[in-house]
Amino acid sequence: MKLYCLSGHPTLPCNVLKFKSTTIMLDCGLDTTAALYFLPLPLVHSPRLSKLPGWVSKDGAVNLEKKELLDLSTIDVILISNYHCMMALPYITEHTGFTGTVYATEPTLQIGRLLMEELVTFMERVPKAQAATCWKNKEIQRLLPGPLKDAVDVWSWRKCYSVQEVNSALSKVQLVGYSQKELFGAVQVTPLSSGYSLGSSNWIIQSHYEKVSYVSGSSLLTTHPQPMEQSSLKNSDVLILTGLTQIPTANPDGMLGEFCSNLAMTIRAGGNVLVPCYSSGVIYDLLECLYQFMDSANLGSTPFYFISPVANSSLEFSQIFAEWLCQNKQSKVYLPEPPFPHAELIQTNKLKHYPSIHGDFSSEFRQPCVVFTGHPSLRFGDVVHFMELWGKSSLNTIIFTEPDFSYLDALAPYQPLAMKCVYCPIDTRLNFHQVSKLLKDIQPLHVVCPEPYTQPPPAQPHRSDLMLELQPPPMAYRRCSVLGLPFRRRYERIHLLPELARSLVPSEIKAGVSVATVSAVLQSKDNKHVLQPVPKPAPVPPSKKRKRVTEEPPEVLNPKPLLSGAVPLEPFLAMLHKNGITEVKVEETADGHILHLQTEDVLIQLEEDATHIICDNNEPLRTALRDLVLRFLQKL
Amino acid sequence: MDSDCLSLLPAVCLVLADPKQSPPDDTSLEKLLDWFKELHSQSDGQVLLQHQPCLLEFISSVCMSKTTDPAILSFTLKLTGLLAATTQELHLFDEGGLLVNVFEREAWGVCDLWEDASVRSGWLQGLLNMLKHQQALGFICGNGLIKVILQLQNDRSLFVACLANQLLVHILNFLTSPNMTNGSDVVGSSESSLRPDWVSASSEIMNAVVEALSSEDHPQVLQGLRLLSLVLSKCGEPIISTLWKDVLVPLEVLVNRGSESLIQTLITVLEAALGTPLLSQSEYKVEELLEAMLGDGNRKECFHCAALIVKLEKCPEVLKRKATDIILLPLQCVSTQPQAEKEINVVLKEQLSQKASCISLLMQSLSSLAQLAHTKYLFEDISIHSITSSVLLLLRMCSGHCPTSLLHSNAFTHLIGCCKVQRCGLDTLGALSVYEEILDLRKDIFGVLLDYLQSPDSHATVLKKTFQAVKRWIVCSPFPDLLQFISHDLFPVLEKRMCDLRWEVRDSTLEFITQLTTALNGNSGFTEALHTSGMVSVLLSSLADAEGYVRASAVAAVGEAVTASSHQMVLVSNSKLLDEALVQMMAILSQDTEGFPRRAVVQAFTSWLKGSHLITALELSLSSVLSLGGSDFDWEVKMHTLELAEVLMEKTLTCCPYAVQNFGSSEETRFTQALIKFKNFGLFDLLFNSLFDCDRPVCEKACALLVKLRTLTAETADLDNSLLVLNVCGNRWGDEVQRRYLNKQQAKASVSVTNGVTGSDEGTDCGLHCTKDISLPKILQILDLDDMQRMLTLSSDHVVNSPRSLMEDILSAAQHSEENIVDCY
Repeated sequence: MKLYCLSGHPTLPCNVLKFKSTTIMLDCGLDTTAALYFLPLPLVHSPRLSKLPGWVSKDGAVNLEKKELLDLSTIDVILISNYHCMMALPYITEHTGFTGTVYATEPTLQIGRLLMEELVTFMERVPKAQAATCWKNKEIQRLLPGPLKDAVDVWSWRKCYSVQEVNSALSKVQLVGYSQKELFGAVQVTPLSSGYSLGSSNWIIQSHYEKVSYVSGSSLLTTHPQPMEQSSLKNSDVLILTGLTQIPTANPDGMLGEFCSNLAMTIRAGGNVLVPCYSSGVIYDLLECLYQFMDSANLGSTPFYFISPVANSSLEFSQIFAEWLCQNKQSKVYLPEPPFPHAELIQTNKLKHYPSIHGDFSSEFRQPCVVFTGHPSLRFGDVVHFMELWGKSSLNTIIFTEPDFSYLDALAPYQPLAMKCVYCPIDTRLNFHQVSKLLKDIQPLHVVCPEPYTQPPPAQPHRSDLMLELQPPPMAYRRCSVLGLPFRRRYERIHLLPELARSLVPSEIKAGVSVATVSAVLQSKDNKHVLQPVPKPAPVPPSKKRKRVTEEPPEVLNPKPLLSGAVPLEPFLAMLHKNGITEVKVEETADGHILHLQTEDVLIQLEEDATHIICDNNEPLRTALRDLVLRFLQKL
Repeated sequence: MDSDCLSLLPAVCLVLADPKQSPPDDTSLEKLLDWFKELHSQSDGQVLLQHQPCLLEFISSVCMSKTTDPAILSFTLKLTGLLAATTQELHLFDEGGLLVNVFEREAWGVCDLWEDASVRSGWLQGLLNMLKHQQALGFICGNGLIKVILQLQNDRSLFVACLANQLLVHILNFLTSPNMTNGSDVVGSSESSLRPDWVSASSEIMNAVVEALSSEDHPQVLQGLRLLSLVLSKCGEPIISTLWKDVLVPLEVLVNRGSESLIQTLITVLEAALGTPLLSQSEYKVEELLEAMLGDGNRKECFHCAALIVKLEKCPEVLKRKATDIILLPLQCVSTQPQAEKEINVVLKEQLSQKASCISLLMQSLSSLAQLAHTKYLFEDISIHSITSSVLLLLRMCSGHCPTSLLHSNAFTHLIGCCKVQRCGLDTLGALSVYEEILDLRKDIFGVLLDYLQSPDSHATVLKKTFQAVKRWIVCSPFPDLLQFISHDLFPVLEKRMCDLRWEVRDSTLEFITQLTTALNGNSGFTEALHTSGMVSVLLSSLADAEGYVRASAVAAVGEAVTASSHQMVLVSNSKLLDEALVQMMAILSQDTEGFPRRAVVQAFTSWLKGSHLITALELSLSSVLSLGGSDFDWEVKMHTLELAEVLMEKTLTCCPYAVQNFGSSEETRFTQALIKFKNFGLFDLLFNSLFDCDRPVCEKACALLVKLRTLTAETADLDNSLLVLNVCGNRWGDEVQRRYLNKQQAKASVSVTNGVTGSDEGTDCGLHCTKDISLPKILQILDLDDMQRMLTLSSDHVVNSPRSLMEDILSAAQHSEENIVDCY
């Protein structure tokens, strides 16, 4: 069993598990942090940005974490845990010869599609005059300024995919529901609710005797999704653990409070608030929190704007996936009420959503206001426009809630900036405290995790509480690692054909356990094994023995009976004594005992799984002794 | 009243003794006993038993009855004790051998009742009640009751055991009291020494203590120690030293054994010993024992001991130093750099590596330190500087910051985010502000406190403690950069905290601002910072908070902030702000749905009025404030309004800032003018309405104010009554005044009719007419304020609570008990 690690990013994993001749890809996250090396893509021509000195690129670039470790066309199945972890799907399924299936839940597919479409729209609406690639050559890159010079693996940076590629990739998705067992060849895969986002799942991959759990972005907090299912993760042989919180020191509750108070302060002072965010996920919780907070803070009349090409679909989709929501949201549906309060915000005109900044928005826009828009990297999307618009006033505030990007890097091209910046990363994924408790409960035999989880964060080397400390220590992987997973398969399920089964003669060796010898032909095909009766004309000796108990091959009996049991020392000595052998010297060995019958000059070695009688040319004595030994053993 | 009750007594006794009746509840019986106690104390020589033979019958019938309820028996035992508290009565009891029958449980109708803890406690209480004279002691000793009491000392019921201890101490005290030894008791003999059976009684008790302390049985040891500490604190010489000599050896054994569960009790014993003359005599080893308790700081229990010793008031200095050194060890150990580290003992290390013990040790350490700081204790071996640094470091560790090199990384992980230690540490840090030596650490201290205020993860209770510490450090001694710190560092954080998601945080922030403003009142720089930083407008917006408590705190903060200035000039320049605040506060007073904010508004106005500045805007609104506050649904708002009225009266009548000062005008005219002013404000409406309010405290307050006013009007001879005429029609208080007026007139008329005074026709006629206007002095006369005041001072349940009603209740309950049985289903 092997694990190929195509991404070293702990929260955007991409691993391939080879297990029982199946090749399973676990998630295909897309790390877009490389976009920070580029200038923002403004919707309107920005004289300021175009006048910036230095290197100007028009590449909308994304970074695919992948190396040619293995042939992507051999992948049989891709398991998707949540919509953030599928953004690289078109790169895997298109133009690689991929012929397998992708498994995902329905919300994951639908919201993932929205996020991909949004990304494509953001890129395509700012057409590029040219694509530059020459700079990626090492010699040229070395001459480039600033951080670009030091960027690694620039050749793996790829152009953004197209809508066609998105559609084609998503057509390969087969929908699954929580706890639905999906047989794939010799293994069975099951998604479990992970509590992180709508439709987010952890996966169990199991055969008859082995169980591998894959834990990706999971959350134990009570937010909107269905709570995390933990008990099914118990008794795993291997647990692959990814997607822990990226900001272990920031507690989501505290950050939410920070978000609200900064927002209120800005609005009270007459400023605007800009929240760069993804169009799905935490934004639902933010809107729900603000729904209550704004009234209590006496800011009820402040409008919220949500601007994204997929804003409408995202808000609407969230309301229809009732069965994927937490219990109290589900119960609202039966009242019937919309599960999320943003429906009411829209109804009362407090929350308005627009596909983009032009059109209706420009005429209805009123300040001070709160704007939610993408992309959190501040390199593309409508957020670029608002940065240009509001950046100069110190009354305004930008509040970062997504933890994926360094906010200082994101702000770099907009400096000098008068607007206030607040960093309130809200990451609801498991923290180290929760994960160590979880692992204590579910007790996996082995844990595999990204390397960063095995040491304290580099910025806080003393925080030994912010790492995984397990016994045995977890196996760490980094990008391009290939791990041999540390467990041996010991059992295999084999079917007996009925006629063969009929011929068995079981004999009970202890209460509840019966043993029989089998002579058969083993046929293995597609990871399935069948025992068939031996073809008549070939009277071959038994080809396979099932060893369940110790046996001692006797030499004279035909057919050979199988022996089981152990020779107890004291009764055996008593027996010898009874038969006239009195002078016995017992010597203890590592495996058992050696009995030296001094008068007869015979050695009897009693071991755990064998007994030897060594005597020179005294066959009657040997037979007599053998019979004594056999009295203590059971025959089959 | 008592004679009424006495007439009911026989019937009550019958009911109580009747086994068919279910006994009244415990409270009724206790109240009845209280009444007996009171009666007994007032009886001066009169013997209740002689006049009330029913009592003796009751007592004997209860004791003989085969079906007595335990509650009644317990009551009877206590009552008997009470009644036998004088020698005369004791003789009455003794005549029929009744007393022995009551306190000898073998003589009772049902012996099993002893199993009931209430009976045992009644028995002890009865003896305790009786033990007022020599004969009682004789009775106890003579009947071998000491043994029983000693047994009860180890009773499974804590109440019984505790009572037994008290009784034993009382007996010991009684044995050594002067009237026992020099025979000055009323009927006592003139023996100068103790009677032999008494000597044996006292030695029996003392032996029991020694025996208990040497016992292997833990509860018995504990009881022995409790009795010992009680003896030490309640008894005098020679009992103490005699007993101490006997217990010293077993006590030393116990101390050296150092059992965790005995520490608290042992310390109590030694603490009691500290307060006795034993301390000064070295052969009694009090100090030595305390020192042994501490050991050399190498035992698990020594920290607990040290924490207790630090708290002792009369502790010898040397010992206190040693205890202080020990209790500070955990704090130093966690937060000291390795090189400065003394050799740490293994026990402490182990304790610190476990989360629960680590946290409790540090909290003990911190709270002891706070305790020492309260008394401004002078540290000797260790500088207050390094202690404070340790506390600071600990607080930093709690919020996840780590010193460069760390001794106990385990302890560090336990501490991160630990609210308990944070709160305790902040309290201690606040307490340390009394030491001037550490003023140079102020920058670090404020740094840590600001971190806590800024941290998004700070719990609401931690923030509250942080605010308290900040306040203490700001107030302790203003420093040059104070204003800089307040306006640049503190205010922005406060502004954010006032927008916090948690109302508790918003509330404590506003409270903190109020306290800070009050504390720095008169500091013109602060006032300026407050007004220029925009804080006041943030405060004003908090007046509209969704949470009532927050609005109330905002009102208080605004009230304090807008008047916070020593200069009238600043106030004038703030008049716009003041107007705005006033409008919003009036809106709260008239519209807010919750009581707290409305109360706060009236209180704020009161403090404005009390202040030295003239607030014209408030004067204009006073009449609406008084009428709104007086007609509020919340009685506390009404109370506060009356307090406002009181301040208004005091201010107006003493210096009259509201009246136009006419130089040369007489005292009388000024008084009249003030009264006219009051009338215009509607003050009299408020007072009279409140006088007839449904809430007693409101009436009481209004009555007191009116009495004051009446005194003043009476003192002022030539008051122009025509100017002070009030309309008494069309309101509740007016109707009441009118009714009383008419009654008085009628009474006067009937008196004059009987006296045959002429012109009575005229008098009655005019009296029965509805009078619309009555002058103030007249109204004050009509209302019998003194009588009203007397009635109002009685508690509202004074009728229901009387012994008479108690007895009537018992009787009527008995009468209705049968009906009640039918009613129950």
